[in-house]
This record gives sequence, structure tokens and C-alpha cells, in this order.
Amino acid sequence: MMHPWRRRSALRRAADGAIMSIVVLFALFPIVWGLSTSLKPTSDILRLPPVILPSPPSLEHYRTLIETGIGRYVLNSAIVSFFTVALSLMLGTLAGYALARFTFRGKAAVMFVIVAVMSIPLPSLVVPTFTFLALLGLTNSLVGLVLLYTAYQLPITVWILYGYFQTIPTQLENAAMIDGYTRMQALRKVVLPLSGPGLVAAALFVVTFAWNDFVVAVAMNSSDEVRTLPVAIYNYLGFFGREWGPLTAAAMVSIVPIIVVFVVFQRYFLSGMTGGSVKG
Amino acid sequence: MSSVTFQGVSKRFGKVVALDDLDLAIEEGEFVSLLGPSGSGKTTTLNLLAGLLAVDGGTIRIGERLVHGLPPDKRDIAMVFQNYALYPHMTVFENLAFPLKARASPPAAEIEQRVQRVAQTLGVSELLARYPKELSGGQQQRVALGRAMIRNPRVFLLDEPLSNLDARLRIRMRHDIKALHAQIRGTIVYVTHDQAEAMTLSSRIAVFNKGRLQQFAPPEEIYDYPANMFVANFVGEREINFLNGRVAGGPGGPMLEAEGIAISLAGVRGLDALSAGAQVVLGVRAEGLTPTLDGAGLPATVSQTELSGPDLVVYIRPEGNPAQEWCCRAEPGSRFRAGDRVGIALHPSRALLFDPDTERNFQAK
Repeated sequence: MMHPWRRRSALRRAADGAIMSIVVLFALFPIVWGLSTSLKPTSDILRLPPVILPSPPSLEHYRTLIETGIGRYVLNSAIVSFFTVALSLMLGTLAGYALARFTFRGKAAVMFVIVAVMSIPLPSLVVPTFTFLALLGLTNSLVGLVLLYTAYQLPITVWILYGYFQTIPTQLENAAMIDGYTRMQALRKVVLPLSGPGLVAAALFVVTFAWNDFVVAVAMNSSDEVRTLPVAIYNYLGFFGREWGPLTAAAMVSIVPIIVVFVVFQRYFLSGMTGGSVKG
Repeated sequence: MSSVTFQGVSKRFGKVVALDDLDLAIEEGEFVSLLGPSGSGKTTTLNLLAGLLAVDGGTIRIGERLVHGLPPDKRDIAMVFQNYALYPHMTVFENLAFPLKARASPPAAEIEQRVQRVAQTLGVSELLARYPKELSGGQQQRVALGRAMIRNPRVFLLDEPLSNLDARLRIRMRHDIKALHAQIRGTIVYVTHDQAEAMTLSSRIAVFNKGRLQQFAPPEEIYDYPANMFVANFVGEREINFLNGRVAGGPGGPMLEAEGIAISLAGVRGLDALSAGAQVVLGVRAEGLTPTLDGAGLPATVSQTELSGPDLVVYIRPEGNPAQEWCCRAEPGSRFRAGDRVGIALHPSRALLFDPDTERNFQAK
């Protein structure tokens, strides 16, 4: 015999589950639909009623993509993402650490600017940065993209790491310095090994942006050798016409890596995001 | 091992003077406690010596070397922090080995050997593979001590290392630290607000208040000849009894007359320097006042009793001025109850006389 309050809570759990299922279904539907389409032979794609689980799944569209050279774009995106993350974390660590540990003239102004620039919409920056990049001769290059992406993502990186470093007791670095290490060594050997969640959270922000960016890449780069995946997918619209198979397959190639990264690091991501906001 | 010398050292935080013109010379191999209430400047002094704070003025030497301009890693010191500051991502072994690897790292075999030796001395050999969070407070404390001992630094700095332990363990660790000092003979600077710790451990105690050094002397001298009223009151198990009054001559020798109380000062040190009529503050600890039931001495009434170990502590109110409450120590084995009428005998050798204006001890050695 169930107690009334227990029955109520069971009901409540069921309702919670139902609502969450609807939200998840709603969010995942485009992705599931795309994945399903990309695995269907061309003849089945427009068939009614639609089949969600094609049997047998066909990899023909993925083969087409490889034959038409998608590998180069994936590689370009991977290179840009990797170096953007590396550069952002390196600079973000130094800046975030300085803000978390030192008082200096103009610190409040620096923090204000960091928050303020986060609110500037990216497209408004495209034109001025293009002329600037052209001046440096870095348009049409992966280096140019890495530098721009780092510039765009540095504020959020600094902010996350600043928050995370504040949660690490100063005494640990003091102990390391008294034990004979310089401040930089203390940062490397004591602070950074304890900052995993903060570093992962910042890296995920950066990698998501660098991997997904379309606006900046399409504006700065035009030649094929330095094209990144999102721009390449857009160009497929002209290349493949109404061939939904290769188009959805290309979309999957761009989505799946980022999902995998998030699934692997989700636990770090959450504690990194909250770690900075809760002060002990 | 080295001496430590502060000369004219000052430190301000904004407008607050945390440390004012400190002169302090600590000898090689000495165990010196910096004792004082919070905000007295003792921890500031330690952090200045460690290099965690920069001096605003004055010089600090370790041995002959001027160190106040050097970063902590160049000062060749070791420190035990109040909350231990063990590295949470390293095992006990790695924590102990960490200071050894700072500069030219010795070969692995030597590191192993030195870690084992320190671990054995401190009784943490079984814990080497554990992480700090898997240790009890007392074990963490030992590892923190071990990490400080693993090198041979010029000075050991200990910042309230026992204050996070429970009372029993604190007394045990106090004993162990004293034994350790006898064994390694290092120069130790020990910050504490616990006067009992300072009294039991130190070869000399530096008492601080409000950013100023009040007195620097061996424990017995601090206890028997406190330089001023602050030191007299801060050191000792219980608050000292103070009585404001006037010195008066009389047929039975000098007396202190105060607010309805007259108490004989016969035999009290430092009286010669005072003229009749001088204002003084009499300071006397519990053991300087003995209550007796036969009524000889100053008449008073027992207000409360407290058993403190083998001793009976008796609070009394003098009949001439019941607003005063004094703390006395009864003879072992005697019995008192609240409401008893007693006589209070003052032991002249235990009486202190202070200047009410400067608060300085008239008797200071």
C-alpha cells in the first residue's frame, strides 16, 4: 500500500520524466533526422512515410564526401581548433592568474573591459578585423584564423580561469615558493594540476567556437586550401545541389566530434562552470 | 642554521600599521615564539620573514645575508602552515619529496632515502602512498612538519601549526615538536596566540600587541617580570588581578590604599623607587593570593570555586570593595565553598607594580 505522499512523488517523477523527454526529443530531432538521412541510400531519402532507422544503413554519402576531399577541411578545422585552444589557454592562464592573485593599478578597468567586450556582437567586428588582417597579410591563412579566434575567445577564457584560480588556496602556492620554486613553477606544478575543471570548461568554450565558426572564416578566407569545415558545408549547397545525402553527412561530420568532446568532458565542464562562482 | 635579525622593520596595510619599527635578534638554533592576540603583528612578522609580504621599511637578515628583497624561494627557509597546505594532488611521498626537487634534484635513490628517514622520524612511513585527504588532522600535521624538515633550511617557520588539532593531540604534538627541536637544533620561529604553547616550547618569547613588540625574553622572565600590563595579563592561564591604588606609609610598613581596600605591600619589589602617595597598579596572579579560612589577611568572601586539575581556584570578593572579583589559588587539599568568609594573604615576591600612566612595570629587570 502506497502512502499518498509517496504516490504523489511518483506521479511527480513521471511528469518530470515526460517533460524532460519532450525537451530532449525537441532538441535532438534535427540531429537525429540529419543522421538518419545521411545513412539512407539516395533512393530512400524522400520516400513517404519516412524511415527513421534505415536498414541496412548506407555509408555511400560518407564515401562521396571522402572522394570529393572533405578530409582537407576537417584537418583545417582541427588544426585551427587545436592551436586556438592552446593559445587561448596559455594566455588565459597567465592573465587569469594575474587577476586572481595580484592587485595592480588599473585592475578594475581591465576586468571591466574583459566583461564589456564579451557583449560585442561578433559580426560587427568582421569588417574592421578583415582590413586589419589584410594589413598584416594574414587573410587566407589558418594562422590568421587562430589569432582572431583567440582574440575573440580570450575574454571568456580569462574570466573562467580567473574565477577558478580564486578557488585555489593561496597558501598552496606560498608553500611551493617557500619549498624553493619560483612563482611560475608554482603555477605549473601546483596551481595548474588542480585547475583541471576550469581549464576544461574554458577549452570547451573555445573549441566549440573555433570548430563551429562560419562568419569569421567565410569573411577572412576564400581559397580552398585554408577552408574550414563549416564554410565547406555551406559550399556543398552549390556543389551538390539538392543532394540531401552528402549534405546531411557533411553536417554529421561537423557535429559528431564536438558532441563526443562534450560527452567525454561533461563532468569537468559542469564543475568548472560552477567552480568559479562558489567561493569557499 | 642561521640567526635572524629584524632591524627597524615596518609594515602597513593601507592606513593600518601592522608592524611598527620592529627590532628583534634571534640567535642561531633558538626556538622563538611570536606570541600575541590576533592583529598584533606576529603573523605579519612571520610572513615578512618568509617573503610572502614585502617590508615597507627596515632590514631583515638571515645569518649575514640581507633577505628582505628576495622572493621566498631564494631565502632557504621552510614553513609549516596553519592549515598544513599539503598539495592535494600529490601523495604523501610526493609532498615530502617536493622541496628536494626544487633546484638541482638529487638522484631518485637519495630522495627515496631522505623521504623514508623523515617519514620514520615522524611516524608516517605507512602513509607514503596516501593522498592528503585520506589522512587525519594529526597525520596531515606530521606530513607538513616532514615537508619542512626534509631539507636543511636556515630557518623553520611555523604558523600556528597546532591550532587546528583537538586539545589532547595539541599537547602531544607540542611535546613532539619540542623533542624534534632538541634533535635537529634548528632555528625555529613559531607563531602562536596560545601562551601555554609559547611558554612550554620556547627558549625566548616575543610578545606582540597592536603591531609593537612588547617584550622579548625567556619564558620565566616573561612570566615573573612582565614588561607591562599587557604582557602580564596576556601570559598566564588566567587573567591577572589588577588593583589601582596609592602607596601609603604606615606603622606596619607600606600599604596600598584603593577603593576601600588596604593591603600590605611589605616586601614587594620595586617599592624603593616609589615615593609615598604615588599612584600604582598592583598586579598579582592567582598563585600570589592564598585564601585561608582562619581569616588572617585581607577579609573577603568566596564567590565561586573551580577545580582545575589538582588545584582549587577560588574567586573572592574583598569585603572593602565587593565590586572587585579576584582569582586566587588555594593550598592543595583545602576546601572552600561559595559564601565562605576568608582572609587573603598576598605573597610579596609574586606582586607586580605598574605605572598607571605608561602601564610599564616599575620592577622591570
